[in-house]
Amino acid sequence: MNLFEKMFNYQVMAKLGESGTVALTRHERAWLKSMLTHPAAESALAPETREKLVAILADEPDAGYLGGLQEKARSVERQVHHPLLRPLRRIIAAKKGMRITYTLRNGSVQRNVRGFPYKLEYSMVKREWYVLWMHLRRRAWMATKLSNIMLVEYSAMSEEAAEANLARISTVLADRKNQLTLAVVPAYNRELSRILYALSCFEKEVEYDELSDTYQIQLEFSGDDSDYVLSKIRFLGMRVIIVEGAYHQRRMYESATKALVRYGVTDDADSQPSDPAEVSETAGEKDAG
Amino acid sequence: MARESFDKEIQFLRMLVLTSGAYSRQQFADRLGISIHTFDKTIRKLKAVVSAVHERLPAEQGKEFAETLRYSYYESADPLLLFLYRAKSVKETESYRLTLIVAELESRPLTALELLDLCCAGLPEELALPDEKTIRSDLKYLEEAGVIVRVGTARPYRYRLYTELLTALSDEELIDLYDFVDVMANTQVPSVQGYLLRDSLKKAIRRQGKELAEPFLYKYHYYSRILDEAHLNLLLQAIAARRTISFLYFSPKAGKSYGSQNTNPLFARESEGKEARVLPLRVVYDHQYGRWYLLAHSAKQRVAKFRLEGMTQIEEGDPVEEADFAAKLALLDLRTQQSWLVDTGYPVTVRARFYNPEEASRNFIKDRVRLQGQWGVITEEDATSFVYEITVNGMTEIKPWLRSFGSSCEVLAPKRLREEFIAEWKEIQRYYESVREDV
Repeated sequence: MNLFEKMFNYQVMAKLGESGTVALTRHERAWLKSMLTHPAAESALAPETREKLVAILADEPDAGYLGGLQEKARSVERQVHHPLLRPLRRIIAAKKGMRITYTLRNGSVQRNVRGFPYKLEYSMVKREWYVLWMHLRRRAWMATKLSNIMLVEYSAMSEEAAEANLARISTVLADRKNQLTLAVVPAYNRELSRILYALSCFEKEVEYDELSDTYQIQLEFSGDDSDYVLSKIRFLGMRVIIVEGAYHQRRMYESATKALVRYGVTDDADSQPSDPAEVSETAGEKDAG
Repeated sequence: MARESFDKEIQFLRMLVLTSGAYSRQQFADRLGISIHTFDKTIRKLKAVVSAVHERLPAEQGKEFAETLRYSYYESADPLLLFLYRAKSVKETESYRLTLIVAELESRPLTALELLDLCCAGLPEELALPDEKTIRSDLKYLEEAGVIVRVGTARPYRYRLYTELLTALSDEELIDLYDFVDVMANTQVPSVQGYLLRDSLKKAIRRQGKELAEPFLYKYHYYSRILDEAHLNLLLQAIAARRTISFLYFSPKAGKSYGSQNTNPLFARESEGKEARVLPLRVVYDHQYGRWYLLAHSAKQRVAKFRLEGMTQIEEGDPVEEADFAAKLALLDLRTQQSWLVDTGYPVTVRARFYNPEEASRNFIKDRVRLQGQWGVITEEDATSFVYEITVNGMTEIKPWLRSFGSSCEVLAPKRLREEFIAEWKEIQRYYESVREDV
């Protein structure tokens, strides 16, 4: 079963597109059949839909061959699908507003808040879904875990208001863009592949200077993810050094210094660190206000 | 026709994606061991595929291909690298014929001869007309690929398009299915078949004149995993059939003969590849780096490990006895039971104290340890910290994870690991000595 099918060829796809025909292969059906056995299918599809699909796919071969596949170092899969994805995706598609009731980290409840939902975001690290939205009264950019939402309802919004909100959101997102530049410590050049794989989840640009045989990697990320980026840099240890990005450099210095204090290595009493939130990781908890 | 393996294209794309425009044409070609001419030819081919698949891509003149591939991953719902799977070469006449047959069969069931007539009438004049044998072999291919099915048993056979999956669902159900496929393709492995299905569903929904919103974002993905899935099916099938395989392997391991060169071993020249013949036992996806491994049994090693990105020219060999396979798999599972990733070194018990965050309403440190700490357990706990303990094969693979916690993690045992951490933090502190005044 080779995935390189003539049917998937780009010229064939383009021509089928012209005639408006959609063709499916057994590769796609076999994959869907195996995915329907995942618990997420129960939350994503209505029982009738699921039954229909199971019946249609009954004659497809079972994906028994997937038995040879093993996953390592995966986060516990707490949540793959969430029931609120269905109503929220429809509100987002219609570019309408919402009324949302949700709990904050401290346990207090925000009731009936008017918002404009933008996107639904899944964190591969935390294995959880968030809704990214605009708090209309406070004009604040929010990310709320779907598991913290008690109630969400559609609320009307004019097309002009929706467009204005989208424009505001794109400004907010652009403002939040952050970047830093890493240099690969030359002694670790031979580990370049490992380093680039570890960083391959970020938007990045790599520069190579042939004369000095050095690599520099510029990462671009949302400011909300600074802590996650830092955890990746600590993950790589001595292999990389931040050469541009004063804030992140300071955070790395603090990390190292504070770690040494933990190990009882305090040859310099002046450099006591002070940042308590040091290893907080990735975005998504801004709803605490 | 020789089977296309796409080994070169995959290597090519992987290097482009990982190094994101670091190299000039010459440097790039040197590292892949190809000529500039081949480099340009490959770029031209890939560009043609990309622009046909993604009409929305920036089409400015002179735009570098690498730049195209840097195109905003996170914000784009379509996985760009999927275009690799659309690159199989098909002759122009064949692409016309297949399309015409599929389109005709969508409206009604037809026989081979009826299709021959329709093809003769419908193909562009400049193309050679097909004969009956060609049409029959097209139908055989389409039937094997599961695109069409035979209707009834009466001869001459009639065929129809097999798209119940699309036609049996209502519009709303189709959107639910699209979302489900999107979520599963993005969060599970393997994903390529799911991404292909997602493309088809999108077309089916848009064909009804509907706008399809794409409201889901995923962060952060290892995008190049899509390239490495190219060989996945082949390997999994060989495992299921208990068959040996042979391949040419380019070890991405550091050092060796390239020690003094600038060359990244990952992109080594073909002449440096090694012939391997093994019995594949398991394929492992490593979520820590987004890399794939093959674990196998070979004549030399009872547990041989290969990175999928280094495997080329894979060929299936003979099957082995079930009992033989089972014994080897049992041994492998025993040896890798305590592997953080794939290390089969001596087991060692690692103990580390994690410090709870100060002034935070949620203990995100403990959350993360529970989420990512695999089979490790929390053995003691007080108001400010907790102790995590795990027995793993070797310390190398777990080390980066422990280090990623920064000063929230203090390694207690073994002593050697503790000392390594102290030495590393000293060095890292020295890296940033110049910024300390600002702290």
